Amino acid sequence: MADAVLDGALEKFRELMATDGYELTYSVAGEDRVVVEIVAGADACADCLVPLPIMESIMSDALAPTPYTLDHVVMPAEH
Amino acid sequence: MAGREKLLDPTGFDDRATDSTLAPRPASLRGLTIGMLDNTKPNAVLLLQEIAGELQRRCGAGEAILYTKDYFGTPVKEDLLKQVVDECDVVITAVGDCGSCSAATVADGILLERLGVPAVSIVSDSFLVSGAAMAKVQGFPGFEFLAARHPVASLDEDEIRDRMQALMPEVLRVLGVES
Repeated sequence: MADAVLDGALEKFRELMATDGYELTYSVAGEDRVVVEIVAGADACADCLVPLPIMESIMSDALAPTPYTLDHVVMPAEH
Repeated sequence: MAGREKLLDPTGFDDRATDSTLAPRPASLRGLTIGMLDNTKPNAVLLLQEIAGELQRRCGAGEAILYTKDYFGTPVKEDLLKQVVDECDVVITAVGDCGSCSAATVADGILLERLGVPAVSIVSDSFLVSGAAMAKVQGFPGFEFLAARHPVASLDEDEIRDRMQALMPEVLRVLGVES
C-alpha cells in the first residue's frame, strides 16, 4: 500500500532525477516519515543536482498529497 | 595567509529575499537595452540572441548585451548582477536544462526583479519542478518563468529558432508588452 502511494507520488521526480543521471530511492521511517535518497549513477552530471534546500522543497511538495511527510533527504556524498 | 572567504549559498537566499513583487513593466521595449544572461549551457547564447533579435525586430528594442555567468549551478554573483542591473532595462536569462541550472536560472530572474529589472527566466520543461522549488525557497512562489520544450542543448540553429518562436508570446507577456 505504502509502496504504491509513494511510487505514484515520486514517479515523475524519479524521471526528473534520471534526466541528470541520478536514481531516487526512498524508505519509510516509522509510520509516516519518508527518507529520500538520491544516488549518483555512473553517468551522473555532478554539477547538475539541485542543492539540498531545493531538493527538500521538491520532495516535501511531492509528498504533500500523500499521508506521508518528508523526514530528510540523503544526497550523494559529494553534495 | 588566506583571508576569510564568504561561503556561496547555492540557493541565493539571504535576508533580503522576502519580496515577491515584480519590477515595474515598461510601456514599450522601443530603444530599451536588453540584457542576455548566459549560464554557459549549450545553446544558451544562441537562444538568447534569437530572442533578443526578435525583440528588436518586433518591438524596436535597443542594444542587446551578452553577460556570461562563471558557473551555471548557482545564482549570478553580486558583481555581475550589479553590472547587469546598471546597464540593462530588461533581462532574459537562460537556459535551465538541468536540475541545478534550472533552479539557478529562476533565482537569477527573481534577483533581477527584486532589483527593479523585469526578467524572463527560461528553463526546459523537464525541469519546471526545479525552477518552481527555487521560486518557493526564494519566497517568491508565484514567480513566473518560461519553459522551452526539452531538449535545448542538442538542437541546431533552426530548431533553436523554432524554440524561440514558440516562446515569444510568453516572453512578451511576461515583459508586459505587446509586439
